[in-house]
Amino acid sequence: MPDLLNIGISGLNATMTQLVTTGNNISNASTPGYSRQEVDLQPSTPQYTGTGFLGSGVEVDAVKRDYSTFLTTQVQQATAESSQSSTYYNQIQQLDNMLGSTTSGLAPALQNFFSGVQTVANDPSDVPSRQALISSAQSMISTFQGMSQQITAMGQGLNNQIAASVTNINSYAQQLAQLNQSIVSAQGADGNNPPNSLLDQRDQVVQQLNQEVQGTVVKQSDGSYNIYIGNGIPLVVGNLAYSLTTMTSPTDPGSAEVGYGPPGKQVVLGTNSITGGNLGGVLQFRNNSLIPAQNALGQIAIGVASTFNAQNSLGQDLNGNIGGNIFTIPAPVVGVNSNNTGTGVVNAAITNAGALTTSDYSLSYNGANYQLTRLSDNSVTTFAAFPQTVDGVTLTLASGVIKPGDTFLISPTENGASGLAMATTDVSKIAAAAPILGSAGFSNTGSATISAGTVNGPPPVNANLQQPVTITFTGAGTFSVTGVGTGNPVGVAYTSGNNISYNGWTVQISGTPAAGDTFTVSPNTNGSADSRNALLLAGLQTQNTLNNGSATYEGAYDQLTSSVGNQTDELQVTSQAQQSMLTQAQASQQSVSGVNLDEEAANLIRFQESYQACGKMVQIADTCFQSLITAAQ
Amino acid sequence: MRISTTTFFNAGLTGILNQQSAMLKTQQQLSSGLAVATPSDNPIAAVQALDTQQNESLNTQYTTNRGTAEDQLGLVDTTLSSVGTLLQSASTIAVAAGNATLSNSDRASYATQLSGQLQQLLGLANTKNGEGQYLFSGYQGNTQPFAQTTAGANYAGDDGQRLIQVSPSQQIAVSESGADIFQKIRSGNGSFTTGASGTNTGQGVINAGSVTNPAALTGDNYQINFTVAGGVTTYDVLDTTKGTTVQSAQPFTSGNAISFDGMQMQISGAPANGDQFTVAPSTNQSVFTTLTNLINALNTPASTPATLASIQNQVTAGIQNLSQSLSNVLAANSAVGARQNQLTSLDTVGTSLDTQYQQQLSNLTSVNYAQAASTLNEQQLSLEAAQKSFAQVDGLSLFNYLTG
Repeated sequence: MPDLLNIGISGLNATMTQLVTTGNNISNASTPGYSRQEVDLQPSTPQYTGTGFLGSGVEVDAVKRDYSTFLTTQVQQATAESSQSSTYYNQIQQLDNMLGSTTSGLAPALQNFFSGVQTVANDPSDVPSRQALISSAQSMISTFQGMSQQITAMGQGLNNQIAASVTNINSYAQQLAQLNQSIVSAQGADGNNPPNSLLDQRDQVVQQLNQEVQGTVVKQSDGSYNIYIGNGIPLVVGNLAYSLTTMTSPTDPGSAEVGYGPPGKQVVLGTNSITGGNLGGVLQFRNNSLIPAQNALGQIAIGVASTFNAQNSLGQDLNGNIGGNIFTIPAPVVGVNSNNTGTGVVNAAITNAGALTTSDYSLSYNGANYQLTRLSDNSVTTFAAFPQTVDGVTLTLASGVIKPGDTFLISPTENGASGLAMATTDVSKIAAAAPILGSAGFSNTGSATISAGTVNGPPPVNANLQQPVTITFTGAGTFSVTGVGTGNPVGVAYTSGNNISYNGWTVQISGTPAAGDTFTVSPNTNGSADSRNALLLAGLQTQNTLNNGSATYEGAYDQLTSSVGNQTDELQVTSQAQQSMLTQAQASQQSVSGVNLDEEAANLIRFQESYQACGKMVQIADTCFQSLITAAQ
Repeated sequence: MRISTTTFFNAGLTGILNQQSAMLKTQQQLSSGLAVATPSDNPIAAVQALDTQQNESLNTQYTTNRGTAEDQLGLVDTTLSSVGTLLQSASTIAVAAGNATLSNSDRASYATQLSGQLQQLLGLANTKNGEGQYLFSGYQGNTQPFAQTTAGANYAGDDGQRLIQVSPSQQIAVSESGADIFQKIRSGNGSFTTGASGTNTGQGVINAGSVTNPAALTGDNYQINFTVAGGVTTYDVLDTTKGTTVQSAQPFTSGNAISFDGMQMQISGAPANGDQFTVAPSTNQSVFTTLTNLINALNTPASTPATLASIQNQVTAGIQNLSQSLSNVLAANSAVGARQNQLTSLDTVGTSLDTQYQQQLSNLTSVNYAQAASTLNEQQLSLEAAQKSFAQVDGLSLFNYLTG
């Protein structure tokens, strides 16, 4: 016969456990990561008596937590995604703000520069106007440099963030390894007494890890979690934690990358391997927004400088000399992979600014052919030997030998904005005039006129450009040409208004010449009031000089601004959406694991009453015993 | 669905935070006056605003350029007008000096007047603008264009025409080369010149002549040779370029028309035997040369009737050339006037474009105050509601009702 006292005591124990557990729930209601705990009760093994089975009380089976693996995993994934997009959004907002300013951005600087050119064109020999042009060129350069520095500073900030994220991830990995060990040993052989607080703690650490990078959990049969990041790279296996490192990029000394592997054999984990979390957001921002923005800025700077230099080199400066370069254009950056085994030195030079893109390029050698991959769209150009020109950049092998497996990272426009400088500040070097001038002979009797003349691009000018050339009409429809470099042709057919080109210049003769009329093309000596070349320089502002003839400088800047603006806009929407998804996932998880104080309050009352009832039972058992003792006296 | 206490609080709190951030954004828009503060607010509008700004800035630049052009053209216009007035007065003097009854000293005094006008003309031709650049030297702004010589004047400039960009597609000339204004003037009547040989002994005076049939012009040189025999004067017309005789032994009557090869001229007076008159195609002659020749002719004493006739021939040629010079200058002046008109109409367009761009910019980026203010009110209301409901819900707990 089961003992009433024992039954009462078992009930007291059970309800006390329940009260304690409820008390635990209430005190941990706001603890992050806490899962609500419940007591599993089981009736004690009934005793078999002659009159049937009699229950013998209650026993506590286990204290378990209310927990759903599915919902928790959902929250972890949502955390990783939401963290990535909000980090990306926060970063890109800085870029957005910098580009959009209408008062201090690049657009006003470009406009002021070309205003200066127009002022020189209005009065080419006026020295103060020329000085003002040099000043506005310098101010345009500072604007370019300032914006480029801001972008570089953002990049530095990213390097620091990467380091911080990697440190956090490594610390979480360590914690998880230790927790795995503790949980496995605390769980015991039968796994029936789950160490609830340790389990909660471990889930919480996984959640924090997902804030930094997406980590996938694979539960093992012994209760430990294996964590993998990216495409199956192990971070935690059982009680072993692997670590990530912050390393300098092999091809770019200014960038930090995430490294993995034993010392000496570190591999760079790129954006394909690191997704989700702050780290994923930072890497995506750098690759998809920051580097393209820096390159785009550089492309515009190089575009302005090289087209201006080219046109200046077709004109005549205030000293009567053929014009030279006004700007110094920085060379492309070639990053040699520090793991290269060969000795090859690759040089890159910009030969056609109008064909430049905003992408970086990766050069590799597979033993037979070289491959140049444009990183923006992964299109590949294969070639067998140097030199090779792709997208306005000419690559040459300066020295050494490239071995198979060697790679180079070529950034043609990366330093375009930061490295732009004045080649000269001498105001007389601005070539406002044209070097040649067409004139009609004084004693001509016909009615034909000759245009002032233009110089054919691209520079350098023809060596015989300023040789005096005479065009003599032998009849109303034919002429002969005399002058060094023309080949002295005779009997050339004349059509009014057509281009006539020799020695690198072009003129048009229109009207009706008479036999014996002469026209000369001669050097433009003392032509200080000539503004032909200055007008052409000013005209560069509205010409489609970039992107293979499809955009002006302002147009290219517009593209950059709108691309960043659109990305920012999208990210705002995406991060809001993902935030809502995270909130929902959390709400679902909380509906299973969260503590509801009202519910616990009701439980408290219930268990209290049970306890009181069990206590009463013990009192009655005692009374029965007392009666028995008294009866026996 | 079971709601945990944490979810309860978080939901209420998130609502309040979101409302606050939306209100802040609206507040910023109202205080800055910009609906598009960063490109992400409205990427398309932001780019259009940048474009509009560039167009506006270019428009302002062209307006400045037009101002400069107007100043330059104004000066050219004034100078050319003065030149025209001068040439007209010179013509009047030349016509008066052609009177056959004048004495040598009368002619000499006319020559002096013309001398003075020659100097004035040189001065006008060497005018400088406000920046110290010569107006009529082509591209050689620092070089003085005209220097007087014994034959007329030497032109040291070139043929360049200075241009200014006055609109996106137009460049306007703001100067004329001295060669075009003063040097390249067609002599004679524009097609041919007439003259008398210096060795003539008779008193024939030839006029400038005119073109009767442009299609018949040959551009050749001709000679009209006079033969006086037995009181009968005849003349031959020889084409010296081709070496042919065009007319021979034509009877001569003073003042009658002599016509050949599309040209017509008159010789008045009495040519002597062996006198020659020339007809040559027009060439370019400088107005300074014309004036110098006139002055030299008028300074020559008319000692014989032949000399007088020779002087009169030169004066006739001079008057004709002066008339050509005047037409040239007037044509140039009216071209300048036309350009000034063009600038005025471009200015009108520029002003209205400027207004348009300002309007566009405002439409794209400015905040609609009425709308923003009412949105702010709405958001304020929502925020108050969120805060109130949070406070109300916050107090609800079962523990409040448990006694004992």
